[in-house]
Amino acid sequence: MRPVLRMSAENIIEIQSLSKSFKGGFEPALNEVNLTIAKNEVYGLLGPNGAGKTTLISIVCGVLKPTSGKVKLAGYDVLENSKEISQLIGVVPQDIALYPTLTARENLAFYGAMYGLKGAEKNKKINDWLEKLGLIEAADRKVSTFSGGMKRRVNLIASVLHQPKILFLDEPTVGVDVQSRNVIIDHLKSLNQEGMTIIYTSHHMEEAENFCSKIAIIDYGSILTEGSPEQLIERTEGAMHLEDVFLKLTKRKLRD
Amino acid sequence: MYKLGATIKKEMLILIRDKIGLSILFIMPIVLIFVMTLIQDSAFKTINEKGIPIVLVNNDKDSLGNAIHRGLKTSTLVDLTDKIDGKLATPESLKKAVAEGKFILGIVVPQGATKTIRNHVSNLVNETITFEKTQEVSPFEITLVIDPVAKKTFVTSVTSSLHEFISELKTQIMFQSFSDQIAELIPDGGNAPKKAYERSQIINYNEIYASDLIGDVVPNAVQHNVPAWTIFGMFFIVISVVGNVMKEKKEGSAFRLRTMPTSYLTLMNGKIIVYVVVCFIQFLLMLGVGIFILPLIGLPALQLGNSIPSVLFLALTTSFAATGFGVLVGTLANSEQQGAILGSLSILLLSAIGGILVPTYVMPDIMRSISIISPLNWALEGFYKLFLRGGGFVDILPNIALLFGFFLLVMSISSISNRLTNKD
Repeated sequence: MRPVLRMSAENIIEIQSLSKSFKGGFEPALNEVNLTIAKNEVYGLLGPNGAGKTTLISIVCGVLKPTSGKVKLAGYDVLENSKEISQLIGVVPQDIALYPTLTARENLAFYGAMYGLKGAEKNKKINDWLEKLGLIEAADRKVSTFSGGMKRRVNLIASVLHQPKILFLDEPTVGVDVQSRNVIIDHLKSLNQEGMTIIYTSHHMEEAENFCSKIAIIDYGSILTEGSPEQLIERTEGAMHLEDVFLKLTKRKLRD
Repeated sequence: MYKLGATIKKEMLILIRDKIGLSILFIMPIVLIFVMTLIQDSAFKTINEKGIPIVLVNNDKDSLGNAIHRGLKTSTLVDLTDKIDGKLATPESLKKAVAEGKFILGIVVPQGATKTIRNHVSNLVNETITFEKTQEVSPFEITLVIDPVAKKTFVTSVTSSLHEFISELKTQIMFQSFSDQIAELIPDGGNAPKKAYERSQIINYNEIYASDLIGDVVPNAVQHNVPAWTIFGMFFIVISVVGNVMKEKKEGSAFRLRTMPTSYLTLMNGKIIVYVVVCFIQFLLMLGVGIFILPLIGLPALQLGNSIPSVLFLALTTSFAATGFGVLVGTLANSEQQGAILGSLSILLLSAIGGILVPTYVMPDIMRSISIISPLNWALEGFYKLFLRGGGFVDILPNIALLFGFFLLVMSISSISNRLTNKD
């Protein structure tokens, strides 16, 4: 069940001439990036290590300040309206951003509270999500006792409890088994069906090809190409899969 | 408030589940108080009870030499001997034994010392009465051999006391010789009062402590060391707070929290409240050791002064200052290792500056002026005002204001630094 690419005129994310240079960096991490993401899209940001994916997501989430350029989320400027934006978004970081000595339920209760969820409503949402992702039995176990896949699932729940309009996922399935990966992707698809816009980075080309409605390939801080997976494959000579497109654009040279 | 409550709950759960960390937080400061007070009290007792080891060679064997021997022998401050390895000490063996560190001080009273004083007095009396110039008497030398390892301040205080003691003996002998000479010269001189020297002592010294404390509270190792090492132990909470902040950064929670509609100060205040409670419990435990445990091993019990609420209030503001400083170090550090080193070294430095390790009154002038920048000094001075000077709440208000001001300052710097570093 691939999400439908809707040619909606309503863009939920607008990025204009975005650049970012770090102190002591040889080259800019982002270089004049322009991007628009439509509402309800599953947008894949693909690129080799160090291409600028995490920097881009960090700026769009309001965690990092750009050197230049503008970013708007649902009409809000990320630099000026950080409060409104933080309510709109959910971020699943690449790291397992959980407290290992707390149980899954305690972790979710804390993060839910940080989004302003309270009492019975919060508890119901936590239980529903734990149930959906097959974690209800382990809910009261410390996260440190969980497998990698279980941790990734709790990591996802912590960012969607407050039902954000936009969900950012930075390699949400890295290091997990196929079963956990499928569960995570299936639930992300259903969240998208319910109206959530998803921005996702990954190294799994196959996963991205099946999951994303639109993809941008980024390297050296610039967007190299953008389109639906089918469009990208079609536009690239001799390409059968997204991986062929990726390798052709980013070359085979090893990256640091 | 709800978010703050959730943060406090999270911090409490993390702390309670870290059994080893928690036991270190509570046991280490208690051990520190116990060991440091015991060591410093033992050192104090070594000097007071056993006495300073001194060896004497009395070649005079007359009034002066015998009086020095008698005076030092009866002093509780001195452990006097005239023998080295079972043999009567000589100037040569004395010098060797002091050089080997067997004694802190060696005293050699030369042969004929008393006779020289008597001759000197006799000549003075004759000169006064007959107006005739008499033959000059050569001065004699009492040699003090000092262990080079002994601290200069300690040696100075011992030799000063010895100079004063010998000088008094010399005066006594001179006075006696004068009395004897005059008795021979004036009619009915034999009826002169025999205890004239004792009666000449018209100045008595009354030493009292400038303290408003009720009762007989005497400054001792416990009264000095328990507050000092308690403050030191309390400030070590910085290491735990830094560890907590750094762990959150390392595990990615700090990143996730920055994307959430929760302010940095709410998150940090949650930590502050939990760690201030821990710090305050540490304080109560360390105080408990001073009051109840140290007397069990023969040390004096800690006296809390006249105002217990002031003691508790000062402890609370000290806890805020210590915890806030931990948040600052945790915010500024880029790695766990950097945070741990920065945290522990800064506490050691502030302790040294603040008079925890060495009292400020023995510091050079420049260091004494610098000591007032240390929050540990503000806390220590506050506790001394309460425990030793018998002060009350009004007396410690400046200390409380400084400590709480420091807390507000470090939290403001942390907040600004967090905003700047996270967005760069």
